[in-house]
Amino acid sequence: MIIGVLMVLVAGCKKEENNPPAPKEGDFKIEFEHVWAANMDPFDLNSKLLHPKTGDSLTYLTFKYYISNIKLEKTDGTLWEDEESYYLLDLSDPTSLVLDFTNVPTGTYTKMYLTLGVDSARNVSGAQEGALDPANGMFWSWNSGYIMIKAEGLSPQGTGGSFTYHLGGFAGPNKAVLEKEIAFPTAGPLSISPNGTPTIHMLANPARLFHTYGSVANGSVIMAPGVNAGTMAFDFQDWTRLDHIHP
Amino acid sequence: MNVSSLKKRATFLFVAALFTLPSCKKDAVHISSDFEGLKVPSHFALPHYSNPENPITKNGFELGRRLFYDPILSRDSTISCGSCHAQVHGFADHNVALSKGIDGKEGTRNTPALSNLAWQPAFMHDGGINHLEIMPLAPITNPVEMDEDLAHVVEKLNRNATYRALFRAAFQVDEIKSKHLFFALAQFQSMLVSANSRYDKYVLGTDDFTPEEERGLALFRTHCASCHQEPLTTDYTYVNMGLDMHSADPGRALITLNPADSGKFKVPSLRNVGLTHPYMHDGRFYTLQMVLDHYSEGIKQNGRLDTRLSAPLYLSPQEKEDIIAFLHTLTDYQFMADSRFSEPRN
Repeated sequence: MIIGVLMVLVAGCKKEENNPPAPKEGDFKIEFEHVWAANMDPFDLNSKLLHPKTGDSLTYLTFKYYISNIKLEKTDGTLWEDEESYYLLDLSDPTSLVLDFTNVPTGTYTKMYLTLGVDSARNVSGAQEGALDPANGMFWSWNSGYIMIKAEGLSPQGTGGSFTYHLGGFAGPNKAVLEKEIAFPTAGPLSISPNGTPTIHMLANPARLFHTYGSVANGSVIMAPGVNAGTMAFDFQDWTRLDHIHP
Repeated sequence: MNVSSLKKRATFLFVAALFTLPSCKKDAVHISSDFEGLKVPSHFALPHYSNPENPITKNGFELGRRLFYDPILSRDSTISCGSCHAQVHGFADHNVALSKGIDGKEGTRNTPALSNLAWQPAFMHDGGINHLEIMPLAPITNPVEMDEDLAHVVEKLNRNATYRALFRAAFQVDEIKSKHLFFALAQFQSMLVSANSRYDKYVLGTDDFTPEEERGLALFRTHCASCHQEPLTTDYTYVNMGLDMHSADPGRALITLNPADSGKFKVPSLRNVGLTHPYMHDGRFYTLQMVLDHYSEGIKQNGRLDTRLSAPLYLSPQEKEDIIAFLHTLTDYQFMADSRFSEPRN
């Protein structure tokens, strides 16, 4: 009761001081859609897919990867930076593929920056939580660092009929981290306003893991940083792109 | 020194200062008067590990201590950290080359002694672990050690009313996350400071050495201290010490993927070395005499030998005895008997 009275008083105070300013913030989303190979066919876990380049038959059971450090830029160079910006995209959990951002200053943004993988700083900073919690199974115990991309599944071309690719490495020439700068279309940039929630629709293509690496027969298990991990990660991360912005 | 490490050091000093405030301030900082936190020995540099997010508190330290000795961290509740890290052996294993983990399984490397971990920049014989806080992840998840899933450990802790209360007291949280487990263990590990050996007292001028120990120290400083740098007795580099022509264990190369690092292992601290036998990454040498024989006459010219070891030492039997006498001065009986670090009785 007393609290209620206080709240009314406080609210009253504020109203008397000045009229509520027009909200100058809005929301947006980033949605990741996953497609398969050059034809960009639908990609799903637990379904048998043919890799057109290698001829492998692949059934992905797990596909997870990190993105981090999302920033938006206006034409005048003003930056909006997402705080504690670490996301684990898990294809077995559709909700993890849609990222919600709130309280973004209104205006027209023409560029987005994001990191595919986890920046090196968080790989050397000890215990983390949220998306970076090692309990998520995306952190190597014996060689500290995040598994940036985890792809596991079945393939007759793999040893024992399966494949396991844990791709990581946060420093050096083979790092599995790629910083990307994505320019929005001039005709349809990202417009943040108090009304509506625009969606940045991204595409990612798990077939790209094998673009340079080739067949699963070349080695169906990678669980450490290195040249092959770096190549597979780069091909996937490099392809990842903007499809469109839904206003 | 860069700005961030200066900042870290400043923060550390501040936190350290909090713990050394006179007892009249204890209400302000909520630390009981009998808990002094991490005291930096006067002859040590400032520690490498300090996390402003994880200041050492009595509750956090005691929780870390309990966790260190609790087999709840293992898959079948049979193995705790203390199973292989025994205080009476300087937190090395009970004088076995290779420790027995879950289901009696054996690893490939000797359990390292634990002390002065807050000064250590990387962990394991190959240095693969880059931070004290996440060190325990390796033994917890290793299939031949504790073979447990981290998420499951966290689930077990959250199911346990005692632990929920202890984590609440230490970190003011209702839900335990892996971060809090790691924070608590890091607090306990940070506190394992060994700096009261006869060597330390000699360095600080409060104890004398026998003539044999004096000679041993002089020889140590000539032949060993470039890697086993005082006072921590390690420079934390990775060294190929000519144990084998071809190392069965890639060692540091596992982490760097550089073939030139094959057979390199982290220079270990020699603190409490008299109690931590057997020696080397695989526990191949049972006695200090065997270790000195290796450095004196046994080094194999394998083409990857550390340049600091290129000339054989050819120590006389007396010189070896002197060095061994000195090495025994690194035994810290106070550390071994410190009840703060022993298995809690409740």
